[in-house]
Amino acid sequence: MQQNRYFRNLDWWLVIAIFGLVGIGICLIASATHSFAVTTGKAWHVERQSLFLAIDLALVIFSLRFDYRLLKDIATPLYVFNIILLLAVMFLGHSQLGAQRWIQIGPLSIQPSEFSKAIMIVCLAAFLNKRLETLDSFTDYLPALAYAFVPFILVMKQPDLGTSLVFMAILLGMLLISGFKVRWLMYMSGALIALMPALWHILKEYQKNRIRVFLDPELDPFGAGYHVIQSKIAIGSGLLTGKGWFLGTQSQLNFLPENHTDFIFAVAGEEFGFIGIFIILLLYLIVIWRGLTIALNAEDDFGTLLAVGITFMFMFHVLVNIGMTAGIMPVTGVPLPFMSYGVSSLTTNMLLAGLLLNINMRRQQLQF
Amino acid sequence: MLNKRYARRLEVMLAAAVCIFLILLGRMAYLQLYKGDYYGNQADGNRLRRTKITAPRGLFFDYKGQELVNNLPGYAVALQRQGQRDNEKVIGTLSEILNMPEDQIRKRIAANQNSYEPTRLKSNVSPEIVTKIEERRLELPGVLLELQPIRNYLYKELAVHALGYVGEASEYDITEGSYKGMPGGSIVGKFGIEKTFDKVIRGIDGSFDEEVDVAGNVVKQLGQRDPIPGKSLQLTIDKELQMVMEKAVDEQLAYLRSSGIAPNARAAAIVAIDPRSGAVRAMVSRPAFNPNLFVNGISEKDWQVINNDPNYPMGNKVISGEYPPGSTFKIITGTAALELGKVTPEELIFDSGQHWLIPMGNAGGEALGWINFQQALSMSDNVYFYEMGNRLGINNLVDFARKFGMGRKTGIELEGEASGLLPTPENKRKIFTGEDWTLGDTFNASIGQGIDLATPLQMAVMMSCIAGGGIYHQPYLVDKVLNNDGSVFEVRQHQEPYALGVSQKTLELIKQGLMGVAQPGGTASYFANLPKPMAAKTGTAENPHGRDHGLFVAYGPTDAPELVVAAVVEQGSFGSTSAGPIVYKVFEEWFREEGLIPSQAVK
Repeated sequence: MQQNRYFRNLDWWLVIAIFGLVGIGICLIASATHSFAVTTGKAWHVERQSLFLAIDLALVIFSLRFDYRLLKDIATPLYVFNIILLLAVMFLGHSQLGAQRWIQIGPLSIQPSEFSKAIMIVCLAAFLNKRLETLDSFTDYLPALAYAFVPFILVMKQPDLGTSLVFMAILLGMLLISGFKVRWLMYMSGALIALMPALWHILKEYQKNRIRVFLDPELDPFGAGYHVIQSKIAIGSGLLTGKGWFLGTQSQLNFLPENHTDFIFAVAGEEFGFIGIFIILLLYLIVIWRGLTIALNAEDDFGTLLAVGITFMFMFHVLVNIGMTAGIMPVTGVPLPFMSYGVSSLTTNMLLAGLLLNINMRRQQLQF
Repeated sequence: MLNKRYARRLEVMLAAAVCIFLILLGRMAYLQLYKGDYYGNQADGNRLRRTKITAPRGLFFDYKGQELVNNLPGYAVALQRQGQRDNEKVIGTLSEILNMPEDQIRKRIAANQNSYEPTRLKSNVSPEIVTKIEERRLELPGVLLELQPIRNYLYKELAVHALGYVGEASEYDITEGSYKGMPGGSIVGKFGIEKTFDKVIRGIDGSFDEEVDVAGNVVKQLGQRDPIPGKSLQLTIDKELQMVMEKAVDEQLAYLRSSGIAPNARAAAIVAIDPRSGAVRAMVSRPAFNPNLFVNGISEKDWQVINNDPNYPMGNKVISGEYPPGSTFKIITGTAALELGKVTPEELIFDSGQHWLIPMGNAGGEALGWINFQQALSMSDNVYFYEMGNRLGINNLVDFARKFGMGRKTGIELEGEASGLLPTPENKRKIFTGEDWTLGDTFNASIGQGIDLATPLQMAVMMSCIAGGGIYHQPYLVDKVLNNDGSVFEVRQHQEPYALGVSQKTLELIKQGLMGVAQPGGTASYFANLPKPMAAKTGTAENPHGRDHGLFVAYGPTDAPELVVAAVVEQGSFGSTSAGPIVYKVFEEWFREEGLIPSQAVK
């Protein structure tokens, strides 16, 4: 009967929000890959995304049987595994847009950097949790910063600017909840801004171009600026109610590339309009709200750290991805959680959502 | 417990998240509600359009700065990527206007699929097509007229084998040939200097970006990149000399055919170079063709005429034609024999009509009796030079041939150059599998027959080595690369000239012998009519497929050589009667230009 108690403690808000997002996501993938499906006679993307959704659900339900605290014990091996994984991408991965991001395993093309984000959350939470008693001065935090720095630099080297920024967002959330002083954070940002000109030289030429074109997309309307211009046209032309499912001209006529992966939100904007977007944003807000609530109610510090890390990761993804499609953030290749096509990303996000549920199920029931 | 201690921080985080969502929602409201109509229009029909402006290719000037090749204004038709449905109708209409099969248009579009730039469908379209497209603008959304200069060869066939021609890059060119990776529909050099210098003279295309509505009206100018014109070339060609030479060749070929001397004389190659530098002043290959025919895409009919001509008008016989050098090779044999001391100029050798070791003799079976070196060269005696070959041995002979540039490409700035063939035992074994070298082969080699082969350019360079006082200059066609304002961008560097290592005494003896050719008693005695002393050598190359080829090399004036001319008339028989008169006319005009011959009244 232990099990029943856990399932009574399922966070239904979170479950409904995530089902809503994944469902809308698959509808949008169907629309975005429609012309591909018509020419090949096979709705390959939708089938694959649905298949992995089923597998992921099974994985999540299975994982709920285990206490999330078990993760503390495997943090170190996970950390090592993560480093190996990232090195493997560097040497074995095949590249796309100048970045090495994919590893082929049998019929699966996986993106290890997605899983790497989840591993980062678990490892960092365990690492901080062990040292909570000794965290006082700024220097006490240095080991944690160094710990996060190694995988960060490996991802940066790929080069995958998007994922490395996600790492920073995760780190930021966990530092804040473990008592890192806001003052220190301001000093660090100050130093970072001072270092900006030097960092500019580290960026690859295509990354620099993305930033230049972000500042002025019309610099290169047929190159790097193309995505953003077309994405803005798609969203803007959706008006209040949208053009209707499968009826978005930008999305259907291939004006908008990558529209089933990174730019899926533009398809939402075009076909479902402002109302559709409002609903999607509301669902994401529910996810964030529940994530922070679960952090607040967690039974132990490890649970709090995990929940904050996961929530920050979701928040950052949503902000950067939607900001990018709306032309207020640079193009960095960060997928939209639960909605973008991509089995690596979907699996990672589902497992992390499962972890939130897991933390919630094992909380103290004080607030009722 | 952290979550108790920092509960406030969690609340702030939630508040921050709400703010972020409000910002995103606000941005969406701005895009969809406030600017919605603007983006709606864009999605309906406003399209980004990039119109290419093809950079004008560099101009060609002759060595005096006279224009030989320039550009005329023109247009190309391109298609901007549209929605699937629109395209079908547009392709149909375009196919009709451009007279281009729909399949071909689709293929072009498919090849350009990965680019957002328009696909070029047809280059150099006629004014009628431009008008038709303008008239039916509304039916043709996405169709662009791009500015594209048209190559114009001012003097048509003139020097076509040197200048070359341009045309649309073929599918092979783009996928694996010389222009790999260039966009479809590009106009590129296909032949001659146009091809070898394509990168230099092509320039960088420009473009302008606009936003247009469904009807093709410009809504907004987005920016323009001006094309950078290609660099121009100053050539070594002398336009007047080239014209004289072409006229002389055409008249002589017509005369040879009509008089019955050589009814099949249709192909010829003549080249003139400056022995002081190696600069090629004129280059003629016959038959020729009009390069302007290729610029607009050659018609099937014109192509058949050119392609079915057995004399291969598209080949530049000056560099790709390989002929036995015949008696002109005696210059090399003679130089080797004198230089290596195998004979003295005074020694007399008896020509009984046949050599005493092998019964090989003169062409007409004549016997010249006791003769010295001068007489032998002037009268082109075979028996004397057989004996020189006999004394030298084939290896010495080949060594000297190499010094004169035989058996290797000169490296002139043109594609398709042949290297000729040296009369070595190895080469004989390769051609006649396994056959050994005989004394008879050495005899043949010493008078330029047998397996020996040379291009007309190599023959001219050989003569130039004598005229230039024993210095080998690499022949070249491009003198300078010029910037758009006419200033010099680059003076072309050529292979370092080298001395043959032949004494002035030997050169003087050869020169005296060659001057004898151009005087009474020599094989080209009519050259004595020119106002200045000349040096020349006739040659006749055996041709197993028809009449012998006539060869002729000459330079003048002998006191200060200004010009070397080598000529080959295929199936023209004797060099002195077929090729010689062409060279004579060239020098006649050359001296008339210098005021040494009174100019004829204009008819």
